[in-house]
Amino acid sequence: MRIETCYFCSSRIYPGHGIQFVRNDCKIFRFCRSKCHAAFKKKKNPRKTKWTKAYRKTAGKELAIDPSFEFEKRRNSPLKYNRELWAKTIEAMKKVEEIRQKRSNNYIMQRLRKGREVEWQRDVREVQRDISLIRSPAAGLKQRQAQEEMEVEPETIEVVDAKGRKQVIEAPVMVPATGEMIEDGGDIEL
Amino acid sequence: MPYKRKKYHVGDTHLKKRWRVRNRKKDLDQIDVDLKEENADKLLNQSVDLDLPGAAQYYCLHCARYFIHQHALADHFKTKVHKRRLKALELEPYSIEESERAAGHGNFKLPNKRKIVTQETKNIENEDITERDSEEVIPNKKKKTEENDT
Repeated sequence: MRIETCYFCSSRIYPGHGIQFVRNDCKIFRFCRSKCHAAFKKKKNPRKTKWTKAYRKTAGKELAIDPSFEFEKRRNSPLKYNRELWAKTIEAMKKVEEIRQKRSNNYIMQRLRKGREVEWQRDVREVQRDISLIRSPAAGLKQRQAQEEMEVEPETIEVVDAKGRKQVIEAPVMVPATGEMIEDGGDIEL
Repeated sequence: MPYKRKKYHVGDTHLKKRWRVRNRKKDLDQIDVDLKEENADKLLNQSVDLDLPGAAQYYCLHCARYFIHQHALADHFKTKVHKRRLKALELEPYSIEESERAAGHGNFKLPNKRKIVTQETKNIENEDITERDSEEVIPNKKKKTEENDT
């Protein structure tokens, strides 16, 4: 008795289940259920069908490369029955399965964590972009302007020409770009 | 109100005929085997078989199809069907072994990408073959015509 794997979805096929197709070059294709068989007949590509194991592994959704996968393999040479070995193997299988599950769960959690980080960055960006919806960029603009006027009175400079004429010129006032001013006052205390 | 529609034609499509096993064409993994040099040589230089289109002289390796003459084959190389097939063959085809690896029997391997080019066209040979096979196949007719001439 052997538990076979489905050609399409890679699930287990227990004895008495599914159907198999033998191609004219003697290759045997086993299917766990009619869904997989129909998909095969329609020449669907298992790598591109989202519900198959092959898709999930090629797309990096599941743990694909790990030493714990090396235990379960098709072994075609029969072994002589040995009770001690059998008992040991059963124990080892349990342990391997436990480790494998832990690793694959961990893999998925790591993958999801990355998504959460991206989500968080997206939220921050959205708030920065649309802050004007919450707080008007013009809020406190007049006050600030009044302050600046008080602080920076136009200075006058006496300039003497090369010919000796005296002129009174307003000194150029350095005004920062309006955008910068808004950002300076844009702090929100939450 | 009782539900009137009976859905007698659910799943009826013109593609159904193609999905029948008797109409099954070569799978991508079979074609992948054909692409190996020794197999490709055999397929491209087949002996004359009058049951097949074009006496099996004009074969497209990637699409596993026979054409009736060189012109049809050359036209086929320009079609979307052929180009789509080349694209599909770029990745190594899915196999039974891969399905087992996906199930967790051994490490999973990502398929390799290859460069697939349309087969080279051969011009002079084919004309010779068609002439030859007409001679081989219908010698009686030729003799008759000769007799008539004489």
